[in-house]
Amino acid sequence: MNKKLQTLYVIWYREVLIYLRNSLKFFTSIFLPLLILIFFGTGLKTIFPAPVLHYDFAQFFFPGILGLSVSIMAISSTMSIVWDREFGFLKEILVSPISRLYIALGKILGATTTALLQGTLILLTMPYLGINFDIPSFIKIILVIFLIGYGMAALGIFFASRLKRIESFSILSQIIIAPMAFLSGAFFPLKNVPSWMATMAHYNPLAYSVDALRWVVLSKSLNNEEILLMTTHSLPVCLLFLLTFNIIITFLSVRMFKKLN
Amino acid sequence: MKDLSEKAEQTEENQNNILEVIQVKNLKKRYKHITALDGISFSVKRGEIFGFLGPNGAGKTTTINILCTLALPDSGLAYVNGYHVVNQPNLVRKSIGLVFQETTLDNHLTAEENLYLHAMLYGVSRKDFIKRKREILKLCELWNKRKMKVETFSGGMKRRLELVRALIHWPQILFLDEPTVGLDPQTRKKIWDYIFTVRNKKNTTIFLTTQYLNEAERCDKIAIIDHGNIVAIDTPKNLKRMIGGDIIIFKTENNKQAEKEFRKKFPEYPIKWIGKELKIEIDNGDKFLPILVKAISPHITSMQLRQPTLEDVFLEITGRKIREEINGKLEKEENQGFDISSFFTLFNPPGTEGKNQRQKNDE
Repeated sequence: MNKKLQTLYVIWYREVLIYLRNSLKFFTSIFLPLLILIFFGTGLKTIFPAPVLHYDFAQFFFPGILGLSVSIMAISSTMSIVWDREFGFLKEILVSPISRLYIALGKILGATTTALLQGTLILLTMPYLGINFDIPSFIKIILVIFLIGYGMAALGIFFASRLKRIESFSILSQIIIAPMAFLSGAFFPLKNVPSWMATMAHYNPLAYSVDALRWVVLSKSLNNEEILLMTTHSLPVCLLFLLTFNIIITFLSVRMFKKLN
Repeated sequence: MKDLSEKAEQTEENQNNILEVIQVKNLKKRYKHITALDGISFSVKRGEIFGFLGPNGAGKTTTINILCTLALPDSGLAYVNGYHVVNQPNLVRKSIGLVFQETTLDNHLTAEENLYLHAMLYGVSRKDFIKRKREILKLCELWNKRKMKVETFSGGMKRRLELVRALIHWPQILFLDEPTVGLDPQTRKKIWDYIFTVRNKKNTTIFLTTQYLNEAERCDKIAIIDHGNIVAIDTPKNLKRMIGGDIIIFKTENNKQAEKEFRKKFPEYPIKWIGKELKIEIDNGDKFLPILVKAISPHITSMQLRQPTLEDVFLEITGRKIREEINGKLEKEENQGFDISSFFTLFNPPGTEGKNQRQKNDE
């Protein structure tokens, strides 16, 4: 058991080490979400005059951007598999006497950790956006970010195991990530959209992620009725969906990773 | 659980006493259109430096891949350190160290971190790692550069680091796939020095593939492989003895005439064409030279007497030179300079495409 944990740790350690060492990537990873929050947030706010909304626009916008950046961070971290394949290091891992299951899990947890680090940094801007929180709610937010990051990391592994070249990532991000992001409810509430869009969003894990984050992030700033106005699912439904999704996608991604050669 | 691990330890000890650490019997492997291995058999003794010699595409890499559990054979048996390569892949992987043709280092990390990751992957304890790290980095003369990122290393330094990285879990057998390809002569010599040091210190068996004949000559035993078949297997000395005596190569103004006359006067000695020259294999060649000059009438324009090399052995067995194909390929690569595609390498990381090609060719 100890040896298995050690292998899990070493794969995880490398992922995190590379993320922290690449300081440029580290800063750009929080720079873009902050830009969106500041410029988009301020700009879009002018469309809706205060009396129309029952809440501050930043409060609506922040959980969505948080969810999206964490998800994209988790997925793009798993692209390290494709880099490793291109530069040969993947072979070094694959020929070692380690079970593929632990390599895949280590990679998933490594990507989840990078997403958690990024999420925590973004959370530090909450006081400036007029979002209240205390320690228990902060811990709840971190736990939800973990759930989201893990699921997206596993999804990333699922795709990355099949990608042969790093250029394919742009295709992946256009065909899979972009639609998921637009249908997540981060930019507009999914309450009153046409039914075809609502049906699609119904199967979108990111829609549940954003809703879950709205419930936990805003719990100290708004009351339940106000949060209900901007979400489609209740918190327990979101958590249940995310948990189920995580279990299924872990199974699938490990299976895909085992086929890798 | 405890019983099992004890048993595993016991067998490990037994495993270390096996004399023939690699045993291969009638191994076959087919890819879609070509037969990569057509039933090869050989065995390697503990502590031996065993060279696999052959041109590109002969089946060298396929053999290594099967022995390292990276590819499955179609049929035949292969045991490495007493373990079956198909049924006990993890035990095989634990007993071997591997250096591939292409680099498999992590460029973002330092030399030391690369070694650390490898040690952890192979279950080396932290205490052992710290002890071995020092010994091993000193061996490859990278101790002073251990805190530097690998991306700043030269090709030769990377190769050296890879070689010692494969040693950090103290494997019984070290597999080297073309360990010196693309290196300058000085680095090449150093790599060979390390190979010998490792063998002498740890009695590690070394299995290597090469297309350089002068390197193959330094092995204890060589197998010559061509088109998926082992055509000869012996010590370099014995292989060269097959040729017998010396070799005289000469060129005349009328080679056909010279050949005719030679066959008439010395029917007991074989004579062969090599390109535009004639080759004779003969004992006491130095004494035969003056006789030869007198014996044939066409004017001799050049003449050469030498000891047989492995190149001659290869030529003798397969009927062609080992480097022929390689030379043709090099020319192609040089021509790429005029190709417009080289413009795009500005945007793509260089080398990766060539690497893929090389892999494909090897299959």
